[in-house]
Amino acid sequence: MTSVIEVKNLTKRYHDTVAVDDVSFSIEKDTIYGLLGRNGAGKTTVMSILTAQNFATRGDVRVFGEHPYENARVLSRMCFVRESQKYPDDATPRHAFETARLFFPNWDQEFAERLIDDFQLPVKRRIKKLSRGQLSAVGVIIGLASRAEVTFFDEPYLGLDAVARQIFYDRLLEDYAEHPRTVILSSHLIDEVSNLIEKVLVIDRGRIIMDEDTDAVRDRATNIVGDSAAVDAFVAGREVIHRESLGHVSSATVLGALSAAERESLAAAGLDVAPVSLQQLIVRLTQHASGSAAGGAASGSSSSTADIDEGALR
Amino acid sequence: MNRTVNVVRMQLVNRQTYIWVPLMVLAGSLVITLAIYALIRNAGAQDPLYGGGAQAPLWYFAVVGIQSLTLTFPFSQAMSVTRREFYLGTLLAAALTGAILSAVFVIGGFIENATDGWGMNGYFFYLPWIWEAGPLGAALFFFAVTMLFFVVGFWAATIYKRFGSVVLTSVLVGIAALLVLAMFIIGMLEAWGRVFGWIGAQGALGLGLWGLLFGAALAAISFVTLRRAVP
Amino acid sequence: MIEEGRPLYVQIAESVGDAIVDGSLAEESQAPSTNELAAFYRINPATAAKGIAMLVDRGVLYKRRGIGMFVATGAREMLLAERRTAFAENFIEPLMNEARKLGLSADDLTRLIRERAAELPSNSTQTTTEGTLR
Repeated sequence: MTSVIEVKNLTKRYHDTVAVDDVSFSIEKDTIYGLLGRNGAGKTTVMSILTAQNFATRGDVRVFGEHPYENARVLSRMCFVRESQKYPDDATPRHAFETARLFFPNWDQEFAERLIDDFQLPVKRRIKKLSRGQLSAVGVIIGLASRAEVTFFDEPYLGLDAVARQIFYDRLLEDYAEHPRTVILSSHLIDEVSNLIEKVLVIDRGRIIMDEDTDAVRDRATNIVGDSAAVDAFVAGREVIHRESLGHVSSATVLGALSAAERESLAAAGLDVAPVSLQQLIVRLTQHASGSAAGGAASGSSSSTADIDEGALR
Repeated sequence: MNRTVNVVRMQLVNRQTYIWVPLMVLAGSLVITLAIYALIRNAGAQDPLYGGGAQAPLWYFAVVGIQSLTLTFPFSQAMSVTRREFYLGTLLAAALTGAILSAVFVIGGFIENATDGWGMNGYFFYLPWIWEAGPLGAALFFFAVTMLFFVVGFWAATIYKRFGSVVLTSVLVGIAALLVLAMFIIGMLEAWGRVFGWIGAQGALGLGLWGLLFGAALAAISFVTLRRAVP
Repeated sequence: MIEEGRPLYVQIAESVGDAIVDGSLAEESQAPSTNELAAFYRINPATAAKGIAMLVDRGVLYKRRGIGMFVATGAREMLLAERRTAFAENFIEPLMNEARKLGLSADDLTRLIRERAAELPSNSTQTTTEGTLR
């Protein structure tokens, strides 16, 4: 598979904060990526740097083999509408789409019209008078109808209700099937997008903590539930990324797939095995990482704390 | 080159901003000025009347210069336009509308001449010292001043975008301080007479050319600043 | 429909396998296309393609150039054999573990099974209208 984007040792520093910390990855052609992570993890910063809207402090970025900075040849093949995109004063969505048509060589006006209909977007109303969801719809429509070879969607669903989000996912998949392109979708609604994305890139505090095929990660971890003593006995020697207890019952999340023999012994010990969703896995991994970083006992938190943390990632 | 032309089209997509509002501001200013002239004529004064109302659209144009950066620049980045294309296309759009405004001024001047000052000997467009070098000189002067106002707004906004409000304020305060210093020195040397003499000698055409030069300098600084600005 | 904790492409392959086993997808008939599967399950087409590829590798499906993927002759038998082998691991063992927890011996279990079998109407294969993922 050819890679369309190559990032090596990318670092972005603002005065005393490091927003992106020595990040390296490559993006393959015609694949849908999920760029996942908490708010402030560095997702938008990375995407801005890839599209030359922001500048790296150190490191190398190549898009289609070239530097993107001031490179119209490369930039015209990309589309990045950010989450809180600014539009010209008094512009309407109609103006925005007319302009997009001028600059994106693959722009599909018919597709844009169908999307305007799907999202029920009032195209003649001033953008500054639109609701948050309608504003997101403008960005989503530009991203979809641009048919840019590399399209970034930066938390595109903010303000969109569940129905509109489903419309976005459906249209994205449909169009991707007909007209394959490279898509990078940043999101913190991991479970919603987990079926769309072929590869997962997780950023936490400026570092990449996961860069894998989604399917490979789906059975990366398991929840073991049952009598605390039995659970402890089983998980000894394994990497536990989360643990909670209620009375005699414990639930531990362990990394690593279980073999058939292991499942047998679990069942024999009266322990239950539950799958771990992608969202749960990533939440646990980032909590685990922050726990180690702080040098504290993040594992061993009570169930209520776990719920709060999980809510934060939603 | 095509994409730069498209930037012009992007700026003009909302015709209101660059064309209609300046013309409306001008028209409004003209109407108010003529109303005032009529009142003065009614009160019996005989001398020719000259007003400064024609400068009204210029201040608006400075605002357009500012907003072309604060609002349209981020959007142009989303459209995958390079900073150079944005810069050239935006200045081109400003030049186009500047040319239109200048044309309106010159035509207005001709009308005023033909009607002896709207029948009231009152002049809005035709200020004699501007027209000394003839209609072309006047056109150049109007164009230069219009562009200068735009570029000042644009330049200030690039500094704001790149370095933030603190740096912008410092720069403006610094420039004001230099001007005050210059005025102080001129006063000390009792050279005001020479200064005004020199300005007068330039004439509208000369001042117009100086304006274009100064505008070009600010524009060049803006480009260098813009190259590292983040939307 | 889609389960957590298991690769999607495996679940897609199983779902197509289910349809072949219960007869709703006949041998030598055309299998659903990658895009159809992707649209139906709302998943990435590449994932659906991986599932189909897995079935092709195992000889369950084959490609007719220019037309699409078709169910191979003998696919049903192959899948039944595989699933019967896995049956013991996937169903019998959990059953016995649960039985043990409840204090039921293997003989008790056998008796219960016979009783139930006598009650049920005698279809050896049930055709489901869904053929969805288990």
